[in-house]
Amino acid sequence: MSDAVARLYQAFVSQDPAGAIAVVEEAKGAGAQRGALFDDLYAPSLAMLGGAWASRALDEVAFAQASVVAEQIGPFVVPPAAAPDTGITIVVGCAASDRHDIRKNVIAAALKEAGHRVVDLGADARPTEFVEKVAQTGARIAIVCAELTGTVASVRRVRELLAADGRDDVVVLAAGGPFDADGKIARELGANGVVLGAESALRLVARIASDLFAPRPDEDA
Amino acid sequence: MSEPRPVFPVGVAYHAIDDERRSWSDWYDRDADADFASLAEHRISLARVFVSWHCLEPQVGQYDEDAAERLDRVVAAAGAHGIRLIVTFFADDRVAELMDVAWGKRRDPRTDDYLIGRESALVQRIVNRYRADDTIFAWDLGNEAFLSGFTSAEDLDRWAGAMRDAVREVDPDRPIMLSADPETLFRSSRVDATHALDRFELGASHVTSAYVAFAAEGPVTSGPATYIDGYLLRCASRGLPVLMDEVGAVSLDASVGEEAAAVRTSMWSGLMNGAAGVVLRRWRDMETERREPYFRDPFEFPVGVVDTNGSPKPVLAEVRRFARVALALDRRRYEPAAEDVAVLLPAERYHALPSMAGLYGPRSCLQSYIRAKEAHLPVTLVREGEEIGRLAALIVPSVAELEPGTWEALAAWVQDGGSLVMSYGGGDPPAEVRGLFGIEFLGDHGRRETFACRVAQSDLLPGLVPFDCALPLQHHALLGQAGATVVATDATGSPLVTLQRHGQGRAVFVAAPIERALAQGDPWAAPDAAASFVRTVYASVADACGAAGSVRCDRPGVEVAHFLGEADDILLLLNHSPEKTVATLSFDRAVASVADVRGGAAAPVEGGAFGVPLGANGVAALRVNFA
Amino acid sequence: MAPSRSSQTRLAEGLARQGQIDPAVDACFQGLRLDERDVLAHCLLAELMLAGDFYDEAIAEATLAIEFDPDCAPAYLALGLAYDRRGGMWDQAVLVWHELAEVVPDLVTAHVQLGEAFWAAAFEEEAVEAWRAALALDPKEPRATYNLAVAALEREGMATALPQFRKAGELDPSQDELFFALAGDGDGVALARGGDLFGALDSARAVLDERPDEASALALASYAYLKQEGTNEATALALRALECEPGVPGALYCLGVAYSRRPGLDRHAARVFRALTKAAPRHPMPHVLLAESLLGLQRFDVARSAYRTAVRLDPACVRARFGLAAVLLTEGRHAEASWEVRRAAYHDTRRQGLFWKLFDAYAEGVEDA
Repeated sequence: MSDAVARLYQAFVSQDPAGAIAVVEEAKGAGAQRGALFDDLYAPSLAMLGGAWASRALDEVAFAQASVVAEQIGPFVVPPAAAPDTGITIVVGCAASDRHDIRKNVIAAALKEAGHRVVDLGADARPTEFVEKVAQTGARIAIVCAELTGTVASVRRVRELLAADGRDDVVVLAAGGPFDADGKIARELGANGVVLGAESALRLVARIASDLFAPRPDEDA
Repeated sequence: MSEPRPVFPVGVAYHAIDDERRSWSDWYDRDADADFASLAEHRISLARVFVSWHCLEPQVGQYDEDAAERLDRVVAAAGAHGIRLIVTFFADDRVAELMDVAWGKRRDPRTDDYLIGRESALVQRIVNRYRADDTIFAWDLGNEAFLSGFTSAEDLDRWAGAMRDAVREVDPDRPIMLSADPETLFRSSRVDATHALDRFELGASHVTSAYVAFAAEGPVTSGPATYIDGYLLRCASRGLPVLMDEVGAVSLDASVGEEAAAVRTSMWSGLMNGAAGVVLRRWRDMETERREPYFRDPFEFPVGVVDTNGSPKPVLAEVRRFARVALALDRRRYEPAAEDVAVLLPAERYHALPSMAGLYGPRSCLQSYIRAKEAHLPVTLVREGEEIGRLAALIVPSVAELEPGTWEALAAWVQDGGSLVMSYGGGDPPAEVRGLFGIEFLGDHGRRETFACRVAQSDLLPGLVPFDCALPLQHHALLGQAGATVVATDATGSPLVTLQRHGQGRAVFVAAPIERALAQGDPWAAPDAAASFVRTVYASVADACGAAGSVRCDRPGVEVAHFLGEADDILLLLNHSPEKTVATLSFDRAVASVADVRGGAAAPVEGGAFGVPLGANGVAALRVNFA
Repeated sequence: MAPSRSSQTRLAEGLARQGQIDPAVDACFQGLRLDERDVLAHCLLAELMLAGDFYDEAIAEATLAIEFDPDCAPAYLALGLAYDRRGGMWDQAVLVWHELAEVVPDLVTAHVQLGEAFWAAAFEEEAVEAWRAALALDPKEPRATYNLAVAALEREGMATALPQFRKAGELDPSQDELFFALAGDGDGVALARGGDLFGALDSARAVLDERPDEASALALASYAYLKQEGTNEATALALRALECEPGVPGALYCLGVAYSRRPGLDRHAARVFRALTKAAPRHPMPHVLLAESLLGLQRFDVARSAYRTAVRLDPACVRARFGLAAVLLTEGRHAEASWEVRRAAYHDTRRQGLFWKLFDAYAEGVEDA
């Protein structure tokens, strides 16, 4: 790789973006992983650039021009910002008559950022909407958010409707204040687990994902 | 009320109207049977009900028998389900216009002689109606919303005396209470109710939103907010059994989970700090009109333990779990470990502005209490002027002025073997300081922005470590030695902690108002070093005089209450933090096994110490068998 | 009504400015014994009570001052702050901040506080409008930006909120203060601190001409490029500095900030900032920067710990408080999140010392008693 580092540096200094791309492609072709491209190829060549400026091997203008080329190469070596699509569809919504949607928004956004396909039903979503969307999208996970004790019954209703629809395989997760206070409520309503917040949602979905294509997912997620 | 009841009662306020759109005439106009059945199912054994003078005496001297029968039905329903009642005569619940007799012509029922006469007649009528009915647990003269309308202690005294006499003429035995928390009432109305309260058999303590805003404004699941119930309970306990009253949410900001955690903390604080029982603020959520979300009356508490449809909220599950543990703590068989350490509540906290003592004092005392709890000391509170002979250690936090008689009493007590810790509160200390503490007061250095400690004698107060931390101090006493040993100094060598022995007794002086500094800074973000300093000073002093208790815990944020039995002891633990933890406990004696009081096999203990896992604001109740 | 300034009030004012609360309170009361309608004395008492966090007393005094003079801007400020800090009085707070924003329209804090009062009362659109008004007056107002970031989080999640946190953070001088604390003293650093980035670069260049591997000079040069949006140049110089001297704190800072500007490099930024927290454990900002990188990686639990460390090190670190609020929101802990925002406001408004500015302006029409 050290030869490649030197060549990439040369490409920066020579203002040769095509040459720089070729170096990167060659490294990829040799089996270098995306993460290693940045750490083992791009960063050391930038360090060489810095050293050259420090020792006056490059003047200000050349340094700036080389940096422009380095910027152009960035997308080839920087790990992607967006997470890859996981292929997992999750239906998220607030329980019927519940308009407290902050937690739902945060959870849905976190799941989307993690690469999952999120169908957001919004606030005050009827249980039938959950079931319809599950049927339409083939989702295997539904998250029902309820912040009031008066709206938690939606979780049971969603579970019942899914069962009636022959969809016992869908994992129903509950989220909201009443479930934080007493995890047993979720179990009594037929939920498979409780989502406490964004990170909890990510962890739970990751765990469930490994079972998604099993014939019958674990009931006590 | 001379002997503790074996079962720790859990109660709830059962309001007359649960929908603000209803009228005053709808007072208890419903079948209470289902509600009381639900109370009983959830192990609630006590309920507060509210008399409506407006309904019962619609015309002067004329009593409405229909209204009286409504109250009969409520009492009968309670009795049918084994619920005992506290009957509150004069209350303001902000909804049911209980006190608004039309013929009262806007006279003040607290001070108008004629109305007081009518009130006495009403009281006697009700007491007479139910005096033979065991369903009635106690008579309660008034709630704090009503009592906060008094403008002088004399008026309160006079009114309370008249009502009490009226009750006693008819019922000589049943306990009478006045539901005023002396601290919160004084804060809101500057009326000192202690003299009035001394007449009654049962006291009350409760947190109000105004007091929380003054002393413990912050998240309900951490910091001072989790200690305020226990603190106020102890403030109210002056030889009286005290009900921890109005337990429940004081704000609408908390989530359902936070509310459940806060109520759990309050109830357990009550059990662990000597309450005679716990009464929750409200049974059923109040249905309110659509209103601006921030329009809230400070004496209006619409949040209950069941929702408007009667469905239980998570907090009710907490109540049920708590009641089960409370049942296991048979107070005939277990008594609390001796509380030989106390924080002094100074008389100066009653001083009005421009004296700032009345504002600083309660906060300093609360901070001192919290640190003593964090040091796991069996700590109580004692008012200035009360007897201190039974105490082994006394903490006087950041006080500027003590009464002349107090200095004499302290000197005599220390001479007799007491251990005193006092921190400088500003101003010029009296000459007695020299004799008691062996120090010369050279002046007040004034404000400092950092608190520094350098340890001169590490074995006198073991555990003290040197540190510097950013903590503004309003005062710092410059001290010369007059016989005392300097235990620690500030960064410049000026004495910070001194120790003077008097025979078996000792007097420790801290040259800065450290408790006040912790209270006035950000109490939720007290610098660790400063908080640890205070804990160490208190713990070392208590330890040296044998008052530190026999249970050690390695987590300051876990409160431990120790109940001694003949064959075994009971330990109650409360995590004051919203993060889970494991508390390691150790004892002076060898422990053989530990079991959950609710049942289950005993786990053997090796080595005398064991760990107790606690969830966020979690609790544990353990039965400990010794080898 | 033109306020008059009695000698007692002057004495009280002098004591209050020195932070001598008890004697100042005493002096105010003595002044009020002479004239119970002394607006300035009531105003001072409100501020003194506020300084001691005695909110009900502050509200009472400020209310009296306003009753006697409805144009008393410092009393409005004290009243609004007392309502906000006390909590649970948002309706009154909204009225007061509205009034103050009319009496002193260019007072940025009034708009920020108005926004926070609206937000607490669940009037989200009005809150956002108020914060935008604050930014229109001062585009660098950090709390308005942080509040907007938290609002964005509640609607659209962390991916939208995080860039706003970072943008506000870079405008926040406390981030630059971290670099200067790490870089120590030196001519070049002094020039950078004074805003002369070209001068700082020249100074670094002069050192490097003699010693091209001097890590601190490389770090200073990296900082200068960073501040001039030369992110790649900054990255190059920081990497070179760390090659020459692994772990040099200034270079770690520059490299971490450069990485955090680039989507996709949060993992790298987190690694660098973690090293920085070890190099400068007593400074809160490295923990804040680490926390923000962790937010980018959706490691909310660990981010929370980092923010709590920052708050423990500096309870007045507004950026840490808002970041902590954001994390708590991801966990559904709304009341705690709201508390952190309120504490940020508490420390920020205390630091600003606005009361004395308004008091001096108000008292300009004073005649000596």
